[in-house]
Amino acid sequence: MLTGEELSILWLTLRIAAVSTVAILPFGTAAAWLLSRWKGPGRGVVETVFSLPLVLPPTAVGLLLLQLFAKSGLLGRALDAIGVEVVFTWKAVVIASSVMSFPLLVRPLSTAFEEVDPRLNAVARTLGRGPFDVFARVTLPLSWRGLVTGALLAFSRALGEFGATILLAGSIPGRTQTLALAIFQKTETGHDREAMRLSALTVLIAFALMWTTGLVMSRRTRRLRS
Amino acid sequence: MIEIDVQLPLDRFNLRVNCKSEATAIAILGPSGGGKTSLLEVIAGLRKGTADRIVLDGEVLADAPQKISLRPEFRRVGYVPQDSLLFPHLDVQANVRFGQKRNGPEEVRRFDEAVEMLEIGPLLSRRPYSLSGGERQRVALARALATAPRLLLLDEPLAALDVELKDRILPYLLRVRATRTRMLYVTHNAGEAIAVADEAIVIREGCIHAKGPPRQVLTLNALTSMDPEVRFDNVLDGTISARDDEEGTALFCPTRGAPVVVTASPDLVPGASATFTVSADDVLVATQRLDCVSARNVVQARITMVEHHDREVLLHADASGYEWTVKITRGAARALGLTERAEGRPVWLAIKTHAFRRSR
Repeated sequence: MLTGEELSILWLTLRIAAVSTVAILPFGTAAAWLLSRWKGPGRGVVETVFSLPLVLPPTAVGLLLLQLFAKSGLLGRALDAIGVEVVFTWKAVVIASSVMSFPLLVRPLSTAFEEVDPRLNAVARTLGRGPFDVFARVTLPLSWRGLVTGALLAFSRALGEFGATILLAGSIPGRTQTLALAIFQKTETGHDREAMRLSALTVLIAFALMWTTGLVMSRRTRRLRS
Repeated sequence: MIEIDVQLPLDRFNLRVNCKSEATAIAILGPSGGGKTSLLEVIAGLRKGTADRIVLDGEVLADAPQKISLRPEFRRVGYVPQDSLLFPHLDVQANVRFGQKRNGPEEVRRFDEAVEMLEIGPLLSRRPYSLSGGERQRVALARALATAPRLLLLDEPLAALDVELKDRILPYLLRVRATRTRMLYVTHNAGEAIAVADEAIVIREGCIHAKGPPRQVLTLNALTSMDPEVRFDNVLDGTISARDDEEGTALFCPTRGAPVVVTASPDLVPGASATFTVSADDVLVATQRLDCVSARNVVQARITMVEHHDREVLLHADASGYEWTVKITRGAARALGLTERAEGRPVWLAIKTHAFRRSR
């Protein structure tokens, strides 16, 4: 059985991962659509920028975000002026998780959009439907597995996010301490048994998520083959 | 009235089509890769040429000098592409309803009409992947018709040449034509074009090679050299007037021409409408009356045109208002004395009942 503290950490982690996944859905969908349709020059640069969080050390991303959202930072100053504080709050955890999981949503979704025959969209236009209508009724439904796969991967990444989060949000129990941060803190303070229990919990959640992702992706592959 | 002035650079040549037409149904023929599909796409608004001007019944759909180019969704031009392109995630009913933004009585009436005309009622709950090629074409045509288009663009698939006759869309096109819906129809079958269209346009390497009444334009010489896939089928649309179960035959009365005897099938009952095609290769011609012959259909006709081409000769012969197309060898034509000067000569055409292949 989980203790009250463990349940609280788990609940915060799941909430943060869910909020960050939902938050990046519209931006990720727009970015994926842009990448799938844009064949002109500059596409490679944009694609690389979107993929940077995959290859950069998370602590480097965290540091950049800290510079941006600190009270003296570009965005932090503007947010402070309207009374919004980000650094060392749950919002910081959401922002760090969102940035780190963004490429994992965009990549499969962009591929799924590319697999939709553009002529289907063209025919839909001749039937009197505008571009947004066509996107909602044709492109998106035909790419739903890519969307689900991307969202599951992004959610999984948000669950395990550590480096960027600890720099931007710290590890404040009950406020910003997610599972990954709690495991680190428990180990640092010599509570190895509790750290192991939390690690086992993350293994269970990660296994369930990756199993589901694999299931969705294999169905997608079968559909494409058929 | 439709005015088309399209210029579009393609890989091998420039598409340059400039024409005006009052015709309700226009057939477009010509070799594959000649720019026919590109022309339809420009008219539908899916591609932009360098200097387009497209006017439909006085309304400007595109005019490059005036920088007008209506988006495809505002053109009310229905497009049925070669491969149908049904939406794979929707069943047939949702596909046909796709272009209907409301569900008012007018939309319901149009949906019902399209479903009835294309005979797709039994298919409504099926998914596109489970349909045959011909069924897909019918659903795609119904989907376009359900939006009440001002112009219908039909791109017949090349593969349709291999499609079983019963799967062909031709009989349904004749029904659409009867509704006076304006259409542009790309085909490789000169016989079908003659049956469906009031006007024919032959396009070769992006340019109009010939334009005019189908009978005049779709000649053997004009087509065979440029489109080896072209076919010359005789298409007869009409109703069954009687049936003889002992003989296994039925009497078919075409809308034009004399009644003919065809092979009976269970659904060919008196009153049933049907469309038959007879290949130009399957008609025998004689210059004397045929009395003792196994063919059940011997009709007297009068030669209207003789076309010589390499090893083949195409005869056009009028029999009671229907103009038959007959393909024979040059040797046969020589033996029968059928030269270009044979116009007006009486001939007898013999067609076996089995040569009438039913397409509906």
